[in-house]
Amino acid sequence: MSSLYERLGGEAAVDAAVDIFYRKVLSDERISNYFDDVDMDTQSAKQKAFLTMVFGGPNNYSGKDMREGHKDLKGGKMDDSHVDAVIELLGGTLQELGAAAADIQEVAGIANSVRDDVLNR
Amino acid sequence: MTFIVFDDQKIELSDGQTVLSALLDQGFDIPNSCQAGACQTCMMQVKEGEIPAKAQAGLKDTLKAQGYFLACNCTPQKPLNITACNAAKMRTSAKVVAHDALGTDVMRLRVKPAEPFTYHPGQYLTIWKTETIGRSYSIASVADFDHYVELHIRRVKNGVVSRWLYDNVAVGESIQIQQATGNCFYTHGNPEQNILLAGTGTGLAPLIGVARDALQHDHSGAIHLIHGASTVDDLYMHQTLVKMAQLYSNFYYYACVRKAERVSLPVTGESIQTIMMSVAAVPAQWKVYLCGGPNMVSSLKKAIFLAGASMKNIYSDPFITSHSS
Repeated sequence: MSSLYERLGGEAAVDAAVDIFYRKVLSDERISNYFDDVDMDTQSAKQKAFLTMVFGGPNNYSGKDMREGHKDLKGGKMDDSHVDAVIELLGGTLQELGAAAADIQEVAGIANSVRDDVLNR
Repeated sequence: MTFIVFDDQKIELSDGQTVLSALLDQGFDIPNSCQAGACQTCMMQVKEGEIPAKAQAGLKDTLKAQGYFLACNCTPQKPLNITACNAAKMRTSAKVVAHDALGTDVMRLRVKPAEPFTYHPGQYLTIWKTETIGRSYSIASVADFDHYVELHIRRVKNGVVSRWLYDNVAVGESIQIQQATGNCFYTHGNPEQNILLAGTGTGLAPLIGVARDALQHDHSGAIHLIHGASTVDDLYMHQTLVKMAQLYSNFYYYACVRKAERVSLPVTGESIQTIMMSVAAVPAQWKVYLCGGPNMVSSLKKAIFLAGASMKNIYSDPFITSHSS
């Protein structure tokens, strides 16, 4: 049986997803203020790394990285609602790309697994 | 098994080992993060040899063209000679061949480097006034057609280098310049792609470089150039650009001024963003170049990205003014 990453389409799928996902993030009032002052090229590269991870692809991102990366963010303290919003946008992105519902669930599960690291608890 | 040469040092690679892993094993302090070809922290440049395609996956065309690659994704089959990205770049002397005022506070400086000098129009080089004081300027000339390197210098109030260039450097003198760098330039291979160029002030220099490079190489897609300035007098290449637009049927020029009291066609009082969004309403397949003031660059970048342009096709060069004087 093929892996989640293979079923989603591998690196090509990540490349296709990164613009769509980032656009959703920037346009979503619930979370866009966290992205106002960041360099877009750097952020886009980070989104790619994040998507590779949640798509089940090869990555070296650890919980520690997620923790470090979300510390001291401008835009106020984050809570569960912000993580929920990101997972929702992730699902919307995959839907646009024609992913199967079960695969979208699996991606949401991986994203959810770093929730405590992101929220530093 | 093969080897790499890193800054003149030979390092053996075991089978399937990446360049990054070999360098780290040898104790080199190489910046890196994701080790998965995503974060681009471990970017390096090849001096000699063939880079495996995988090591350049996801990089912008302009970076690929300069031989940049990601060490963490690079498992070479044959020897490679490479260098760290930020290795000290060479300086060379260049003779000033023209020094002309273009507008109220902008001048055109043309120099002839003493040694062969490779660059892409739109990249920037650093002019060194002394050993340690230098400023970067973008290149408006096209290497294949011009026998000089052209820079547009704005006279900055209290600007150590720009005032020196304006007031003290004369035709015939030599100045120190440094190898060109930056990824804001035209890449070949997509002649039908539409191009949008937008900038303020001397952000026009790299845009003209890119536009001329594209036109001289028979680019067939539409090329739209938007120049923003405070007043009509600051549109320092207006006549040249109007003529270019008459000469090339696929080149379009828009001039925007904030103080629109003396507006006459083809100058408009509308904002750069308004014009940008009307000429590139569906920018998904466009190549976009944005140069000039950092706030303008970042807001235009966000607007064009949200309108559908791909991050990979947006090249920007925010002009950061030095705070030291």
